[in-house]
Amino acid sequence: MTKTLLVTGASRGIGLETVRRFLQEPAAGRGPEKGDVSRIVLVARDSDDYSEALADLEAHNPRGVTLSAYRADVGDRAALVELIDEIAENDGNIDYLVNNAGYTNPVALQQVDFADFERTMSVNLYAPFTLVQQLLHRGNHFDLIVNIASTAGIGGRSGWLTYSASKAALINMSEVMREELAIYGTRVVCISPGRTATALRRVLAPTEDPSTIMQAGDVAAVIEMLASPVGRFVDSANLVVRQ
Amino acid sequence: MFSLLLLNGGVGARAGAGQPKQLVKVNGLPILVYSLVAADAVPDITQIVLNYPDGWRSQIEAIVADYAIRTPVTYVRAGASRHESVRAMLDVATQDDVIIHETARPLVTTEDFQSLVASEHRNVSLMLEIPFTVAPVDPAEQKVTGYLERSTLRNVQLPQKFSIADLRDAHAFAEREGRLFTEDATLVAVAGHDVRFVNGSDRNIKVTTPTDIKLATYLLTGGDEDWND
Repeated sequence: MTKTLLVTGASRGIGLETVRRFLQEPAAGRGPEKGDVSRIVLVARDSDDYSEALADLEAHNPRGVTLSAYRADVGDRAALVELIDEIAENDGNIDYLVNNAGYTNPVALQQVDFADFERTMSVNLYAPFTLVQQLLHRGNHFDLIVNIASTAGIGGRSGWLTYSASKAALINMSEVMREELAIYGTRVVCISPGRTATALRRVLAPTEDPSTIMQAGDVAAVIEMLASPVGRFVDSANLVVRQ
Repeated sequence: MFSLLLLNGGVGARAGAGQPKQLVKVNGLPILVYSLVAADAVPDITQIVLNYPDGWRSQIEAIVADYAIRTPVTYVRAGASRHESVRAMLDVATQDDVIIHETARPLVTTEDFQSLVASEHRNVSLMLEIPFTVAPVDPAEQKVTGYLERSTLRNVQLPQKFSIADLRDAHAFAEREGRLFTEDATLVAVAGHDVRFVNGSDRNIKVTTPTDIKLATYLLTGGDEDWND
């Protein structure tokens, strides 16, 4: 049975690398899961990066996976709900969902603009919630949901109040989802990457040399493992992925 | 194909003085969700007849909508007795065969329903061996009156399946004879129809007391699994 994967924040970083891995042939001796993905739904804001990424993905698509790309801001709830209608109509059941889109604007407590805090919560917390709830309301049955949190959600970091708070909430929300969606046999995984060489990390740590830290492809490899048959043996708790 | 008659008492005691009664929840979910979701995954169940306590229809309908139950649901108001409830549900059942279940058994699985569907017989109940001794007594005298061979006794569980004609006939029989039964497998058998059983699971407990809810939650959340590590 063929499966459909949906990835948010698919234009770069962990999201894009996750799409790349699911386009490839499964490695010898691996389970059939990756090979079963015949359709990938990509969601990201419109950008030159996204257009270039899509062209590159189409050019490196050896299994002929259908790529269904949408341009939307998941932090805009009304637009996201409309988008979910469109996806449910065009792409059918979403079997694997990777809630990867993330936003941060790290500033000290006294400098937090409340509207920016709300945007952080909208992208990092309300968007994963809305995707899952709206799809469930449409009768979608998930095999696997992967929520990408952060080690910054496990312990608060000075200067990262909004981001840390949003990711802590995502970790807890994942635990609730894991229990409540067990009635469908849905696996819910939360992973918390440490420092990863992504555009978001560059906002958090502008002076860091990205070549010295974990790469987005490494996290994508963990997501691929979680979707494989052995994934069910490591999915019972928030999974820290760090160098 | 089957109509599922889903008996839904579902409303518990008041949480406190002056508080409205609550829908019973198990592990945070309304108890009826478990049976609805398990049954919704059974292709042979093409209709769910769900009864609701008086005054609770809109809340029950909202739960069915929120959980996107795909099988068409027909709503019937709960009767004053179990007999009355089942009879009212039989009146709106569209299939020639029915499965009866109760939402107070949230640990029912899709496989439980499928094991009934798969049985070659038309009237079948899930039942369980009794692992303890039961004695016949005279309660007024507190006197033991004999012996029951437990290998010939079974704990009656739900779900059960019946030919709708046999079940209707059995309810008419009970009414005629003025007899009350607490469940339908023994009723249909006493009314003279062939009723068989398949082995159920001791996890499929009936949740009636606060202790039962704790036990069900423990089982649902895999609390028992760590002991096998």
